[in-house]
Amino acid sequence: MRAGLLGLVMAAALAAATPVWATTRVVTTTTDLAALVAAVGGDLVAVESIVPAGVDPEAFEPRPGDLAKVRQAALLVRVGLGYDYWVDAIVNQTGERRLMRAGESYLDASAGIPLLEIRGQSVINEGGHAHGVANPHYWLDPENAIIVTAGIAEALVRIAPGERDRVLANRQRFLAELATRRARWDRTLAPFAGVKLIAYHNSWPYFARRFRLDVTGFIEPRAGVAPSPAHLAQLISAGRKVQVRAILHEPYEPEDAARFVAQKLDVPVVRLAISVGSLAGTHDYLALFDYNVATLAKALGARRP
Amino acid sequence: MNEVGDALALLALPFAASVVFVLMHAYLGVHVLRRKIVFADLALAQLSALGATVAIANGYPATSAAGMGYALLFTVTGAALLAPTRGLARHVSQEAFVGIVYVVATAATILVVDRLPQGAEHVKKILGGSILTVDPADVAKFTALYAAIGLLHWLARQPLLALSTENQAAGRPRAIVWAWDFAFFLSFGIVVTSSVATAGVLLVFSLLIVPAVIGSIFSSRLSVVLMIAWGVGIAACAVGLAGSYALDLPTGAAMVMALAGFLPLAGLAKALVVVGARQRRANLRIAVTTVAGCALVALLASSVWLMINPTADQPLLALVERATGVGPAWLLGPTERDTFESATRDVLRFQAEVDRLDAMEKTARYQGKPLSDDEIRRIASYQQSFNEMTRGERFVQETLRGKARTRARWIIGAPGALIALLGLLALTRQSRKHHASGSKPNGVASNESAVT
Repeated sequence: MRAGLLGLVMAAALAAATPVWATTRVVTTTTDLAALVAAVGGDLVAVESIVPAGVDPEAFEPRPGDLAKVRQAALLVRVGLGYDYWVDAIVNQTGERRLMRAGESYLDASAGIPLLEIRGQSVINEGGHAHGVANPHYWLDPENAIIVTAGIAEALVRIAPGERDRVLANRQRFLAELATRRARWDRTLAPFAGVKLIAYHNSWPYFARRFRLDVTGFIEPRAGVAPSPAHLAQLISAGRKVQVRAILHEPYEPEDAARFVAQKLDVPVVRLAISVGSLAGTHDYLALFDYNVATLAKALGARRP
Repeated sequence: MNEVGDALALLALPFAASVVFVLMHAYLGVHVLRRKIVFADLALAQLSALGATVAIANGYPATSAAGMGYALLFTVTGAALLAPTRGLARHVSQEAFVGIVYVVATAATILVVDRLPQGAEHVKKILGGSILTVDPADVAKFTALYAAIGLLHWLARQPLLALSTENQAAGRPRAIVWAWDFAFFLSFGIVVTSSVATAGVLLVFSLLIVPAVIGSIFSSRLSVVLMIAWGVGIAACAVGLAGSYALDLPTGAAMVMALAGFLPLAGLAKALVVVGARQRRANLRIAVTTVAGCALVALLASSVWLMINPTADQPLLALVERATGVGPAWLLGPTERDTFESATRDVLRFQAEVDRLDAMEKTARYQGKPLSDDEIRRIASYQQSFNEMTRGERFVQETLRGKARTRARWIIGAPGALIALLGLLALTRQSRKHHASGSKPNGVASNESAVT
C-alpha cells in the first residue's frame, strides 16, 4: 500500500519532469515509416501510423478519427508513389497548407530513393491499386532506410531545431545497428544468391535487388484480378524449367492459388511480412528483416540436399 | 506440348467441380425461381462468411472444425430468419427481406474484419472464389455432400416442391410449413456455403439462376427443366473454362459470362427452333428487324456524334479503323502522314528502350555485378524521359487523328447519318406494310391458328 503510493508519487514526479510540449506528434501512413520515425525520433516524438499494424495499406479506408490525427500532426510522413493515395483526401479535408505537398509538415519518404520499375502510365488508379510511377515497396530494401531516415531527421530538426544533436545521435545509433544486422542478413542469404522465386504480388523488387534474388513471376500480376488458367499454366511450366525454389506469399491474400502452384512445383509457400507488424515477430523495422530473412533462409535451406 | 498437357491437367478438376456444382445448383435454382427469392443464396452465403469471420476473430482457422461450426451456426440462423418470411409475403415482397438479411450480414462482416484484419483474406475469397485451384479432396467432399442433400430432397420431393410452387401453402398447418421451409433453407444454406468458398459469390449465383431460367423457358415440367438446365449448365461451364484458358481471362468471371451468353442463345432457340414453320418465319423477321434496327441506330448516333464533336472519342469509328486496318492516315496530307507514322514508330521504339532497361536492371539484381544506387537512378531517369517522350508522340498522334476526324466530319458523318436514316425509314415502312397485310408478327401459337 505504502510502496504503491510512493510509486504513484514518483511516477507523477517523473511525468512532470518530462516536458510534455517537447514531444513532437508525427503521423505516418504506414507502420514501416512509423518504425523508422520512432528509430530516429526516439522519445522526442509520439508517432502513430494511420494504417494499423496488420492491415493491408493498399486496401485501407480512412475513418473519421484519422482526420483529427492528421490535423494534430506536427509532421506527416507518407510512402508516396501512389501507394497511400488516400492520405491526400484526408489532408485536403483538414485544409492545412503545412500538411500539403511542399508544406513544412509534409514528408514524402520516397524522395531520393533509387526507384525500380518506372511505369509508362503514371496514372494513380484510385479503386484498384495500380502502382504509380514506380514500384512503391522501397522500404523492403534496408539500404533505403538510410535515405528515408535522413529525410525524417531533416524534417524533425526543422520542426525542433533545439533537438538537432539528439536526433542525429539517434539516427547514427540506428544506422550502426542496421549495418551490423545488414551484415548478418547478407551472410544468411548469401548461399541463396540467384535463387528463383515466384511471388504473389510484385512487392519484392527492392528486397530481391538487395539480397540478389530472382523473382521470376507473379501469381496475381494485377492486384485484385484472379489469375487466368493460361497464366497459371505458363507460370508452372516456366517455374519448372528455371527450377523455382519457393513461393513468396504475403498476408492479406487468400492462399489457394499460391498453395496450388507450390504443390505443382513441389516447393514451399513462404509467408513473408510486407510491413512492420503484419506478422507476429515483426514489431519494428529491424525485426521485420530479421523475420523475413530467417524465414526465407529456413524455407530455402530445408530443401538443400 | 507440355503446356497443353499442363492446361488440361489444370482445367480437369475445375471442370469436374463445376459439373458437380451444376447438378446441385441448377436443381436448387428451380426451387429458388419458383419461390421468387433469387437472392437468398447471397444472403445465406454472406451469413456463413460472417460466421467464418467471427470464428477467426475467436482464434479458429476458417477451415477448422470450429470454423465450420461457426459458419454452420450462422447459416442455420439465416435459415431460421428466412423460413418465416412466407408469412410476410402478403404484405411486402419476400425478396425485400432477403435483401435486408444480405446487406446486414455484409455490413456486419466488414465491421468484424475491421476489428480483425486477419479475416480480410477470407472475405476476399468469398467474393472472388478460386474454382481454378480447387483440389481433388474438395471435389470429393462436394460430391458426397451434394449426393446426401440430393437424396434428402428426392425423398422429400413432394412437400418441398409443393411448397415451392404454392403461394399460400393452402390447407397446411403453419408449423409444418415453417418446418419444411426451414429444412429447405438449411439445405440450401449448406450447399451455398460450401460452394461459395470455392466458386465465389458471382459464379454460384449464376450457376443457381441461369441454367434454371433457361430450363424454365422451354418447359414447366420439373424433369424437362432439370435436363435442359443440367445440359446447358455443363456446356456453359466447359465453354467458360476453355475461353478462360484460350483468352487468358480470370476463370470465375469468364464462366459467369459464358453462362449469361447462353441466355440469348436459348431465347433464339426458343423463338426459331422449337416453334412451327409459320411462327418461325415471323420470329425470324422480328429478330432480323431488331438487329438491323439496333445497328442502324448505332450508326446514326455515331455519325451524328462525329459531326457534333469529331475530336472526342469515336468508339464505332475506332472499331472500324482497327478492324479494317485503315487508319486516319488517308485523310492526312503527305507531311502529316509522315509525322503520324514516325510518331507511331517512335512510340514503339521508346517503349522498347524502357523494356530493355527494365530487363537489364532485373537481370543485374541477381546476376553479374550489382548496379549501384546511382546507376539505378540513372536508369530510372532514362526510363522517365522515354516515358515522357512516348507521351509526347502519343499527343502528336492524337492531334493528327483529331485533325483527320475533323476532316471526316462531313465526308463520313453526313453520308453515315443519311444511310442510317434511310435504312431506318425503310425498316419502319417494311414492318408497317407487314402489319397491314394481316400477319401478326408477335402472335402466339393459339392466335395464329385463329387467324388461319
